[in-house]
Amino acid sequence: MIAIYICAGIAVYAAIRVIGERNTMRKLPFLNVVSFAVTGIIALLLPHPITIAAAAAYFVGSTLESNAIASTWSGGIKKDG
Amino acid sequence: MDEYVMIACTALVLIGMTAAILHRNPFDKLISLSILIAGIFPFIVDRGYLDVAAATALIAPLSTIFILMVCRRETT
Repeated sequence: MIAIYICAGIAVYAAIRVIGERNTMRKLPFLNVVSFAVTGIIALLLPHPITIAAAAAYFVGSTLESNAIASTWSGGIKKDG
Repeated sequence: MDEYVMIACTALVLIGMTAAILHRNPFDKLISLSILIAGIFPFIVDRGYLDVAAATALIAPLSTIFILMVCRRETT
């Protein structure tokens, strides 16, 4: 039971760090930390065999989302003129 | 769900909501929306709607990617 408390604490702490950062690029690693902690909460919450599928789907989706935000913010590949 | 985990997930939702209201940059708003969606998921899983949770986890990044197409940064 202590593991899910630790995951919840890490999630709230990383969310507060996301709010505290001013630079947008420095927000994105803490957003990944929030995603990992919420994945841990989902996997530990319900003793059912399909829970791990929901946790894996959330893990893939959140990682895809933060990487899409990061690559769009950085501007992509610059063309040589 | 234990009440401490419920309080933590509610705190995630409220933090994401407040940050999405206060930020001006659209990328910061998207990051705050991602925190808000992360806080919603344990409530969906706690009731046992695991198929709904898996479908939402795969559909929510698609909406973020469609918004990112609109607010693409100008390349110099």
